[in-house]
Amino acid sequence: MAVETSLLSSCARAATAAEARFRIDRPIRPARAARIIALDERAAGIARRAAAVEWASAQFLVCEGVAGGGAIGDFLLRGIEGEPVVLEQTLAGADVVVMLATDDRGAGCAYALGKACWERGIMTAGLVLSDESGADQAVAALRPHARVLLPTADETDLTELLAALRA
Amino acid sequence: MLRQEINELLTQTGPRTPMGELFRQYWMPACLAEELPEDGCPPIRLKLLSERLVAFRDSKGQYGLIDEFCAHRGVSLWFGRNEEGGLRCPYHGWKYDTTGQCLDVPSEADNSSFAENVKLTSYPLVKIGDVLWTYMGDPATQPPLPEFEFAQVAPEQTYTSKRWQQSNWMQAFEGGIDSSHVTFLHSGGLKTDPLFKGAKGNEYNLNDTKPFFEVADSEGGLFVGARRNAEDGKYYWRITPWVMPCFTMVPPRGDHPIHGHFWIPIDDENCWAYSFDYHPVRALTPEERQAMIDGHGVHSENIPGTYRPTANMDNDYLMDREAQQRGEYYSGVKGIAIQDSSLQESMGPIVDRTKERLVPADSGIIKARQKLRKAALALRDQGVTPPGVDPAHHRVRSAAVVLPQAESFLDAARDDVRVHPGMPVASV
Ligand code: FES
Ligand SMILES: [Fe+2]
Repeated sequence: MAVETSLLSSCARAATAAEARFRIDRPIRPARAARIIALDERAAGIARRAAAVEWASAQFLVCEGVAGGGAIGDFLLRGIEGEPVVLEQTLAGADVVVMLATDDRGAGCAYALGKACWERGIMTAGLVLSDESGADQAVAALRPHARVLLPTADETDLTELLAALRA
Repeated sequence: MLRQEINELLTQTGPRTPMGELFRQYWMPACLAEELPEDGCPPIRLKLLSERLVAFRDSKGQYGLIDEFCAHRGVSLWFGRNEEGGLRCPYHGWKYDTTGQCLDVPSEADNSSFAENVKLTSYPLVKIGDVLWTYMGDPATQPPLPEFEFAQVAPEQTYTSKRWQQSNWMQAFEGGIDSSHVTFLHSGGLKTDPLFKGAKGNEYNLNDTKPFFEVADSEGGLFVGARRNAEDGKYYWRITPWVMPCFTMVPPRGDHPIHGHFWIPIDDENCWAYSFDYHPVRALTPEERQAMIDGHGVHSENIPGTYRPTANMDNDYLMDREAQQRGEYYSGVKGIAIQDSSLQESMGPIVDRTKERLVPADSGIIKARQKLRKAALALRDQGVTPPGVDPAHHRVRSAAVVLPQAESFLDAARDDVRVHPGMPVASV
């Protein structure tokens, strides 16, 4: 085994604890251009509350349905204030899409949106916050494309995830 | 990214800190049983949750964990003489039993009651399996003894080791639920390690380097499922349980023993990594046990007579750049345990989490931090007993299963992640 003697300055062990802790202190740019898409009514409420916090570049949307075959022009999408949004435009420049579901009503949108993001190389995450009635179909619809799925999420998971991602 | 005050909340476990109080709700490993091998043997020093303690086994076989320092003038009782029924301070001869009660103060009159009023802080110390467990919280809320399967199977079916890690416990623990590093950092070991190699599941691991994750709550913590493609449109799932605050298990591989860890804070800049391996159905073979003693699998090769790894930060973990080039060790460091410790120690004693750039694949870590924070605050503010205290929460297993695509791992493997004594684990 080739073991080279290291100079002290290149050793993994910094000379002092303060040195070991040292990091170049420079502001870190927001890492992720995130889009948060609520898939049903209650999810829209959660998205609205999360949107009240200040984020670097996160945009909050509601998907009200998908017409036809789920082509890119088929989505009925609104901003949190109710203004219509074109999916094609909102996905351009996004690099993570977080989908929120609380029941099975958004299952159709979940699958189609997941697929649209997948085809564009955009990572998706799925947060499912269901009550007793469950959201098995939404979970199943999110599963094929979502890199991460939290089937037992609660409301704070959304803000925690966005904060962790520097959204 | 975490705000600085939350990073401090999660990483500080000394007395009267919120996380320190959380840890003091649980039974946890204090040391290995082998460290106190016989009645009347020498005492050992140990630091847990930033408290300096001495553990000893008295002449009658009773275990005790008491304040390290003599009540008289503060001498370390590690220098003590383990005498008939107690530990005697060598300075002026005060003697203590395993509960910390002072039995004898030689300078006092023979019929003096002075000693009765001297008692050192003490915690219970109980042997279950190969581990001596302690509970450092309020005696009034002491929970029932732990029921982790590795400590409950017959002695010939289990093996536990430990190693000192020079980092905060969270850095070590987060590695335990971070399933996505295995395909990179430990890729060499999947092919060569005697305790890992040969399993069918290893091929799925190596063939699909972009796993999908599902993170679901359990009664005692979380289940983190990592999903990779298998043949015929099926998924290979590796399911990692976390029981709060710091017990994790690695999903099994073939018929190899199943393993996992406890990540125990020594103080805020050091922790113990306990590593166990057990087989719920059969004795470990002599070859398996020897491989564990030799530091294969999740275990480490330690400096003889100590629990410090032979490869440590003072020798750059015996970095082997040629093995790194050859792909034998992905990072150039030998052995799963030291591959982890080298990188986690390199982050500094307490990593600055305000500087992280996490990705969605880190969701297990994000969720675990949130659960710890919430539990610590609920305990502090409302006195809520945290998940993982109830021994029923301990009876979990990791699993590695192949499932049809449409199946939810939580539903399909619900039974596989519970302990069924004497039954095999679900493993591919
Ligand atoms: S310091 Fe221990 S007996 Fe005096
Ligand atoms: Fe690891």
